[in-house]
Amino acid sequence: MKWWLIAWREIRWEVFLDRTSLLRTGIFVVIPLFFVVSNRGIPQGPAGDLTLLGLALQSVFFPALSGVALIAATFSMEKENGTLVPLLAAPIRDFDIVLGKLVGMVVPVMVACVVTLAAAYGLAAYRYGVARVERVLTPELIYAVLVLSLLYLVTTGSVTMIVAARVKSSRAAQQVAGLVIALSAAVFAGLGFVASQLGEGWPLLALGVGLVLADVLALELARRVWQREEVIGRV
Amino acid sequence: MIDVRQLTRHFDGTRALDDVSFQVHPGEIVALLGPNGAGKTTASRIIGGILAPSGGDVLVDGISVRKDANQVRARCGFVTDQPSLYERMPLRRYLGFFARLYDVAQPDVRAADLAKLLGLDDVIDRKLATFSRGMRQKVAIARALVHDPPVLLLDEPATALDPEMSQMLRGFIISLRARHRAILLTTHDLDEAQRIADRVVVLYKGKVLRIGATSDVRAAGRPSYTVAFAGDPAVARGALKRAGIDADSATARDGLTALRFAADDPAAVNPAALRALLDAGVRVVTLSAEERSLEDAYLSILAEARR
Repeated sequence: MKWWLIAWREIRWEVFLDRTSLLRTGIFVVIPLFFVVSNRGIPQGPAGDLTLLGLALQSVFFPALSGVALIAATFSMEKENGTLVPLLAAPIRDFDIVLGKLVGMVVPVMVACVVTLAAAYGLAAYRYGVARVERVLTPELIYAVLVLSLLYLVTTGSVTMIVAARVKSSRAAQQVAGLVIALSAAVFAGLGFVASQLGEGWPLLALGVGLVLADVLALELARRVWQREEVIGRV
Repeated sequence: MIDVRQLTRHFDGTRALDDVSFQVHPGEIVALLGPNGAGKTTASRIIGGILAPSGGDVLVDGISVRKDANQVRARCGFVTDQPSLYERMPLRRYLGFFARLYDVAQPDVRAADLAKLLGLDDVIDRKLATFSRGMRQKVAIARALVHDPPVLLLDEPATALDPEMSQMLRGFIISLRARHRAILLTTHDLDEAQRIADRVVVLYKGKVLRIGATSDVRAAGRPSYTVAFAGDPAVARGALKRAGIDADSATARDGLTALRFAADDPAAVNPAALRALLDAGVRVVTLSAEERSLEDAYLSILAEARR
């Protein structure tokens, strides 16, 4: 369980004490809530339902996008500051370090995703009616959206860590993270559209299962590429 | 305790280490010396199980770094020139974190004990960001000792420390030797190496140039002698020149002048030098064998290698 030690340290001492990342996550939390509140009115019918679904998706994926930047920043900063060397000198498996770093970033971001979705749900219910929101945002759909966001975070987080392990500076890692954010925002916009066309949560979950496989592949790739050799050679 | 066997390491086609072999025994400090790029840090990292060797092997406490790097890491304490601390953490939490990573029983007790040992117990709940450079290096040492390792790898531990802190660190390293730790000290500070190292290994371009007891390495090469006298140095130098002896200026005390010369056969050269000086009217006060510093020996070893 050494990965959990690393993860908990990240959560307790890095994420919650890093004002910049807190501010950034805060902005990514507030933006989708602002969209919910500022919407002038959602018409009845499929088009309105689609808008509601879009707002729910935004509420989850906006904070998730901030997670990618967070992972890139913490990992590459640790390399730049040299704090990775004592960690690499400890009797820990490479995979424990990768998993610990990833979990340490994913957990707080997922908490932000859940909180934002809950707040968006509450605000939407207040503005557009409980019955309507309950009908569109079914428990299955909400669950599917959250699972997707988790899978998204793990996949992009693994990829970002691979890149951060190989680049020299945090600036380069941040640039790559920006690219990942832009690409994934486009992908999820498409996914949201598909889900809304299907009108059910379970098909979306099936798409999630596909992402699980992508996750496993990304984690395995991270484990293979992210080795002490690679990292220490670039520290 | 540390047994480096024909160690080789390549980086992108460059040979950073080439057939390096040496040992460090318990209760011994071995200084790993060499110019920048000689392969010292690479050797240190391979011994510590952070880097894998391309060829050869390292046994730490009998465990092969090739076969079980994790067990090797569990037996090594690693200190680098940069303390590299998690600055947002207080000292107690920081040491506790590493104690847990090393599976130390009662990690919080160990953290408190180490802080006390290094005189940091009054700042144990302060964030590391507020620590001075010297205090940070102490924390790095505490981190390396958190699992009470039998092997210590110290890579430039005194860099950027003030003289008082360097002296404290030196004393602490010596005390660890007394507790039978095998210590590999990678350093550019030859004065420090001369003071505390039992043996030295000189690396150059990835190869071992010289290995031996510090005193033997210092004594190796042409012995040199210093003659201190009252009188004109030009006259003395001329007298020695006529006797076939080349002399350089040397540091003198008590208002005297001094010249230094090398002699392969001091039994023949020294009486000849003395006779020449006395015949020239130079009032010789002392003629003594010069003790070579490790720095002198190291520089002459490197100069020889470059030739």
